[in-house]
Amino acid sequence: MAAFSSAHRRSHATTPYSPSSRPRLSPSDGGHHRRVALSSIPSRLALRAQSSSRLRGSRCANAVRLHEGAGAATIIPVENKLPLKKSEGSLSLTLPKVENINIGENESTVSITVVGASGDLAKRKIFPALFALFCEDCLPKHFTIYGYARSKMTDAELRNMISKSLTCRTHKRENCEEKMDQFLKRCFYHSGHYDCLENFAELDKKLKLHEGRRISNRLFYLSIPPNIFVDAVRCSKSSAALTKALKQYLEENQIFRIDHYLGKELVENLSVLRFSNLIFEPLWSRNYIRNVQLIFSEDFGTEGRGGYFDSYGIIRDIMQNHLLQILALFAMETPVSLDAEDIRNEKVKVLRCMKPLHLDDVVIGQYTSHNDRSTTYPAYTDDKTVPNGSLTPTFAAAAIFINNARWEGVPFLMKAGKALQDRRAEIRVQFRHVPGNLYSQKLGTDLDQATNELVIRVQPDEAIYLMINNKVPGLEMKLDHSNLNLHYAARYSKEIPDAYERLLLDAIEGERRLFIRSDELDAAWAIFTPVLKEIDEKNIVPESYPYGSRGPAGAHRLAARHNVKWGDLSTGQ
Amino acid sequence: MAGHLSPCSSSSSSSSSSSLNFSHPSSFELRKSLDKFLVLPRKTQEPSWVPRIRSRNSSRKSFQLKSSNGHSLSSVSLHDGSSLVKEHFKPNVQDSLSPVNSGSEKSELTYSITVVGASGDLAKKKIFPAIFALFYEDCLPKNFTVFGYARTKMTDEELRMMISKTLTCRIDKRENCEDKMNQFLKRCFYHSGQYNSEENFRELDIKLREKEAGRLANRLFYLSIPPNIFVDVVRCASIMASSTSGWTRVIVEKPFGRDSESSGELTRCLKQYLNEDQIFRIDHYLGKELVENLSVLRFSNLVFEPLWSRNYIRNVQLIFSEDFGTEGRGGYFDHYGIIRDIMQNHLLQILALFAMETPVSLDAEDIRNEKVKVLRSMRPLQLEDVIVGQYKGHSKGGKSFPGYTDDPTVPKDSLTPTFAAAALFINNARWDGVPFLMKAGKALHTKRAEIRVQFRHVPGNLYKRNFGTDLDKATNELVLRVQPDEAIYLKINNKVPGLGMRLDRSDLNLLFKARYPREIPDAYERLLLDAMEGERRLFIRSDELDAAWALFSPLLKELEEKKIVPELYPYGSRGPVGAHYLAAKHNVRWGDVGNEDS
Repeated sequence: MAAFSSAHRRSHATTPYSPSSRPRLSPSDGGHHRRVALSSIPSRLALRAQSSSRLRGSRCANAVRLHEGAGAATIIPVENKLPLKKSEGSLSLTLPKVENINIGENESTVSITVVGASGDLAKRKIFPALFALFCEDCLPKHFTIYGYARSKMTDAELRNMISKSLTCRTHKRENCEEKMDQFLKRCFYHSGHYDCLENFAELDKKLKLHEGRRISNRLFYLSIPPNIFVDAVRCSKSSAALTKALKQYLEENQIFRIDHYLGKELVENLSVLRFSNLIFEPLWSRNYIRNVQLIFSEDFGTEGRGGYFDSYGIIRDIMQNHLLQILALFAMETPVSLDAEDIRNEKVKVLRCMKPLHLDDVVIGQYTSHNDRSTTYPAYTDDKTVPNGSLTPTFAAAAIFINNARWEGVPFLMKAGKALQDRRAEIRVQFRHVPGNLYSQKLGTDLDQATNELVIRVQPDEAIYLMINNKVPGLEMKLDHSNLNLHYAARYSKEIPDAYERLLLDAIEGERRLFIRSDELDAAWAIFTPVLKEIDEKNIVPESYPYGSRGPAGAHRLAARHNVKWGDLSTGQ
Repeated sequence: MAGHLSPCSSSSSSSSSSSLNFSHPSSFELRKSLDKFLVLPRKTQEPSWVPRIRSRNSSRKSFQLKSSNGHSLSSVSLHDGSSLVKEHFKPNVQDSLSPVNSGSEKSELTYSITVVGASGDLAKKKIFPAIFALFYEDCLPKNFTVFGYARTKMTDEELRMMISKTLTCRIDKRENCEDKMNQFLKRCFYHSGQYNSEENFRELDIKLREKEAGRLANRLFYLSIPPNIFVDVVRCASIMASSTSGWTRVIVEKPFGRDSESSGELTRCLKQYLNEDQIFRIDHYLGKELVENLSVLRFSNLVFEPLWSRNYIRNVQLIFSEDFGTEGRGGYFDHYGIIRDIMQNHLLQILALFAMETPVSLDAEDIRNEKVKVLRSMRPLQLEDVIVGQYKGHSKGGKSFPGYTDDPTVPKDSLTPTFAAAALFINNARWDGVPFLMKAGKALHTKRAEIRVQFRHVPGNLYKRNFGTDLDKATNELVLRVQPDEAIYLKINNKVPGLGMRLDRSDLNLLFKARYPREIPDAYERLLLDAMEGERRLFIRSDELDAAWALFSPLLKELEEKKIVPELYPYGSRGPVGAHYLAAKHNVRWGDVGNEDS
């Protein structure tokens, strides 16, 4: 999935109406366009001015605060309240924003086009996320949402479809109906082919109609299969080729590669924990950390929708992106600032310090059917959309090492699987033994049971807890493992926004921190591509495991080889 | 004050009584000098060590049978661990151990616990209930006798009546509570006598012997009496009522003197009749669950030890507050004041445990060696690092609360502090420059006892813009709440969930009530059990006591000589503002009076 934003040429010509009638996704001619590609920044500024004046809730105001903190370089004009009129010809990094602010906040609009509007992701995630942003007053006063897909549909039909999946947050229930109506009135549909310029030209006309004379920023959310991301690269599946192809039409700055895991609350919080608490940073290295585990499990299989999955497999679907991204955030050095480029620079660095995965350090599995009393759970290959002899892994475990001063020798274990016994995503940091532990006699023979562990549970039930050894109250000196616990549901009564809300808002605001830069993507693939190739070429047969189990035994052997015990399967929790 | 202790010198001749186990001066001296070089062997040289092992083993056996969760097993492992070492040092003890462990003799052991001052408040409220709790937890041997001793004339029945009013069963053991109480009360007896009468104690001895019926008898005397008669009682008890077959131990509780001199004198007098090994100086704060847990947290968790120094810790706060005044019972208090009553003992003991270096082992001597070391590294308190206060009357909501000097038992012009705050410094490599702030007071707005560890700022904090200007609000803090509601929590900066990037301070929390549904035993239970088992970890050794007094005596003298007038604060308030000035002088903010209180 990818999103890209485009400013509608306001800065390119003196008039907001672009002479070009087709969607201008191709600033292929020169320096001006390159700057224009940055025009998501003016939109952010306009938005910010707007939101700070308009918003009641603290959410967006805070979001804004982050950007002031993070994007110091790009923010300066705002903080300094520079004179607003500037020559439009000099489209430098900062000037266009200044110019745009002059138009006034009411004059800006954002058009969000969801390409692939009839798809599942669009229905379940994207439209609801947009509605949530609307409810939270995070969208500009004027905005337009377009659904685009091949299906024939009227605006009313689209609205009807969307409305089924919209919900209001618990604490905003009051005028929910009203809000929904307001939102749906801004939603429209345009039917067309994905590879037809003519259809997009029609869309452009319609968009213009809504945008009127306002400064119009456009965001396209590509909720479509990757083979039609760029019709020119239909036959290429390689990331580099895709990137190259996309860049023919778009600047890197216009491309927002979503990894929705990066929008998860606790993943965002990871950096806050590390960098704003004194007590964690001293521990954050091979001196104290024995191993790190990144665990993702689903308690269901492909359930009749294995077609897409089968051509990718769990490693590409979960590990190479979600888990690796979290790992990079976890292990990176302290960035110079919270600015997107600074963070992504550090992520690229740590990714490039990782050894490409070896086949020895990977275990793959595939689930088989399982009978549990009356219910029969199907095997992966029982899925009608999956080829019968498929060797695609639905489970994988891998040990990754980072060859740098901070992490050498510390195994980072990843585990991802479908059709396992539970649904969870968590980061577990296992600390070393206490050297010369005075209480070693209390802890029995298994010192592994007595080490500290920091767990960041991304889902379900967001929580952070630190397992410590504690004295069991009583007359005896008995120790146990207790948790210093922060359970989000107990501490924070507000609903936690969906990852897509955060990411859409960031894309609209031009905040790139949580999106993946192309060199990050290259580095990530470089770690996994050799082993993926080897698995494919050698036709490695995945170890089978029953549906609903804890996964193949090979995962334990892999962990044991690196002196690790999976934290999610131990007796603790 | 030393005058109170005069009995010991006048009657010192009687100290050579042969009924004492260890009064032989030469062997005692020898052991004392040995102690300087050897840590462990001391205990093994006393014959009474043997029955101690036995008693522990027998109590373990019975516990083992009843407990399904194995708790006592691990409690035993501590002792096993330490006794292993001892056996290594003293192989001859092993010989005497083996017959003891045989099942046939188990029932032949008995404990006699004599509560001297049985009619007093502490005895009624704490000691008898604690003994009862140990009884129904099966921590006492099969045979035991509890004797009350006081001047009041009372029959056994009257004593039992009196005790029974304060006995309670734990919630999880309600079932056979009545039964248990009756069984327990049957073991309780009373003997009336004067505290300085050897004759009366001889009578007690006869009664004790009768109950002990020839078994191997260990005797524990709990002195729940004013300090001016400590020595009398110790003299009479040790001469007339020491056990001839097992050990004899004496538990004493503060005050241990009023300053270095009187404390030293008391120790000297006690030692005329008792060995250091026989004296168990209770500081009941050391028996509190979270104080015991302090060492566990520090030494069994990798995540804390790297942080435990001036590199990461900005300051440490030890806070004790009561939400009531002396309430008509200020007579004793007025003579001592809050510094002697709370700071010099309870808070300083916690501080020593907090700040000591890692001991060689969990053995009592090793821990106490480290505590002495850290106490001796502290700078004696200066007057400018202390502020004193006294509460005054206060009316609130139609109700008026009396001032300290309104208490009829307190002299009208008393300058005794009911509140004090102090800044202590430890001049060693670990703690140089870190202020340890203590605060203790009566008649404040809350009742609490806690340890707060405030960490430094994050250097080069990436998120500083999210914190606003006050970086002090953004540091980590570890809080061990000793009472009420035992808890451990670590304040961390966390992102408030939502689309913004707003940070707050949230707690990584361990609330004991939620995690451990079982009732937490009272400090006195633990300490009584330890005294019976000869576990000295939580009792104060005389050199510790000396070191503790050395820190406070000069200051206390100066306060009294200069007649420093305490700053007045209203009953039920947060204490005098001077405490804030003191903290501010050391760049500290009290953690308990911040806006996010708790």
